[in-house]
Amino acid sequence: MKEDLSQVESYWLQQLQCNNEQVLALLMKQYYTDLYNYAARLSPDESMIKDCIQEVFISLWQRRDSATAILSIRYYLLRAVKNKVLKALYYNNRKASPVHLQAAYNFSYEFSIEKLIIDQQVSEEKAAKLKRTLSQLSKRQQEVIYLKFYQHLDHEQIAELMGISRQSVYNLLHETIQKLRNLWHTEFVAR
Amino acid sequence: MKDFRLYDITDFVLDEDFIRWVYEKREEDEAFWDQWLQQHPGKHLVIAEARRILESLKTTQTAVPAPVVTHEVERLMQTIREQHEQPASITRTYKIGWYAAAVILVLLAVAGFSYKMFLPGASISPYSYAALTADRKLVEKKNNSDMPMHLTLPDGSSIELAPDSRIGYARNFDSAGTRDIYLSGEAFFSVTRMPNRPFRVFSNDIVTKVLGTSFNIRSFESDTTIQVIVRTGKVSVYTMADGSPATRTAANQPGEVILASNQRLVYAKAAQKFQKVLLDNPVMIVPAAADRNMVYEDAPLEKVFSTIAKAYDISIVYDNELLKHCTVTADLRNETFYRKLELVCRAIGATYEVIDGQVVVQASGCN
Repeated sequence: MKEDLSQVESYWLQQLQCNNEQVLALLMKQYYTDLYNYAARLSPDESMIKDCIQEVFISLWQRRDSATAILSIRYYLLRAVKNKVLKALYYNNRKASPVHLQAAYNFSYEFSIEKLIIDQQVSEEKAAKLKRTLSQLSKRQQEVIYLKFYQHLDHEQIAELMGISRQSVYNLLHETIQKLRNLWHTEFVAR
Repeated sequence: MKDFRLYDITDFVLDEDFIRWVYEKREEDEAFWDQWLQQHPGKHLVIAEARRILESLKTTQTAVPAPVVTHEVERLMQTIREQHEQPASITRTYKIGWYAAAVILVLLAVAGFSYKMFLPGASISPYSYAALTADRKLVEKKNNSDMPMHLTLPDGSSIELAPDSRIGYARNFDSAGTRDIYLSGEAFFSVTRMPNRPFRVFSNDIVTKVLGTSFNIRSFESDTTIQVIVRTGKVSVYTMADGSPATRTAANQPGEVILASNQRLVYAKAAQKFQKVLLDNPVMIVPAAADRNMVYEDAPLEKVFSTIAKAYDISIVYDNELLKHCTVTADLRNETFYRKLELVCRAIGATYEVIDGQVVVQASGCN
């Protein structure tokens, strides 16, 4: 249902194939914030993230002759950024100390209290409570709600991106919302 | 058809239709859920809780500042141009195999050729109508008459196309994920609300994204400015070019300006600057009947201002603390927006100014 590929996007992909650099710049500009925010949840290393995003666009450019095979630009870019960041984390960690990839892969739902207060006019106290609640979710749980409610990917895309089955995405989402409700209850009602 | 009666809170939170209602506030959804709640009054608490969860998950995005993005885009462009010049020698931040290098060499020849085809002559802006619509798959409408031309789009949105203006949209406009229109000239748009499929108008250097609304865009290639006027609803406007410092004014998000009802946005092409101004004669966005209630006797100022602000969807800024004892006795029916303001201000000995699309009231207080 959340089909990303609009006519203008397929037009852009065609233009990429025709070596139109402007379109590559446009795509980066369009998706930069979303990609950066996603990557920032995987690693706090800002300059590494920026390099990874650069590399993703460079390889998109290098493979532009097959660009029209891309079905959803957003999903393609998110997946490419995730792979690059995880790879970078893996190599960096191998150099420093032998840490497992999964441990290095630390998804966190960064939550800007200030923005929440401005956007939704909630009190500082309430925003802090929300932040505390979200930080109590597991990394997987944080990732799944991020992909669903912020990036608006569909369940199939989430499944592929997280490397789990669709049924697991469904279960994970249910379990996460359930947990969120319980946490909320303790934060807001029990006090 | 889903049976929402069987849904628990979690089911609602995860349901696409429910999410759409909470996040996008479409009119048809509002109507559906209002009615559904009336039929199932026992579900009010469940719905309220599900809504609250969704709302608290909604906005967590911090935009990457425009200068950072601009810098990164420039960096990318530089790398790519270096690749064109010396395809085999770029190894600074990434590795490139011989195979890829070879591919690029071959493609270079193609690049030089097709670039000319798409951008005929250096004088044309990369975002001109011609450049944006170089693809020939668009449905195009041109108004050669000297009367406005009425058009209906496949999604039901309507357009009044001014003389000497043209629009283009994709053949599969109705099935694509976003509804994109290319405009050269001037047009008034009444957009059918479909928050899942944003409506975007590309007009030279700027893009106007609609959050459900009616609005006017004037963007002739010969003009020095591009103007967007919003009658109802909200639109967001951003530039095609990278966010230069000038575009970062007045907006909470860099490079993007949110424009509300009765506001006009002027974009100066040369300076790449946005300026927000109020319309000369703002119209009410609420039903005209609201006007009939605008008779006040010793009414608190706060109430009067908030009624006016809501009726026209225009912010009125004033010192609430200082003016909290002020009351107004006035008959504001059948007056224009500015006349209403004038009458209220006179009643409390205040003056007002319009700054950046907002009304700012200055006064010394009341006893």
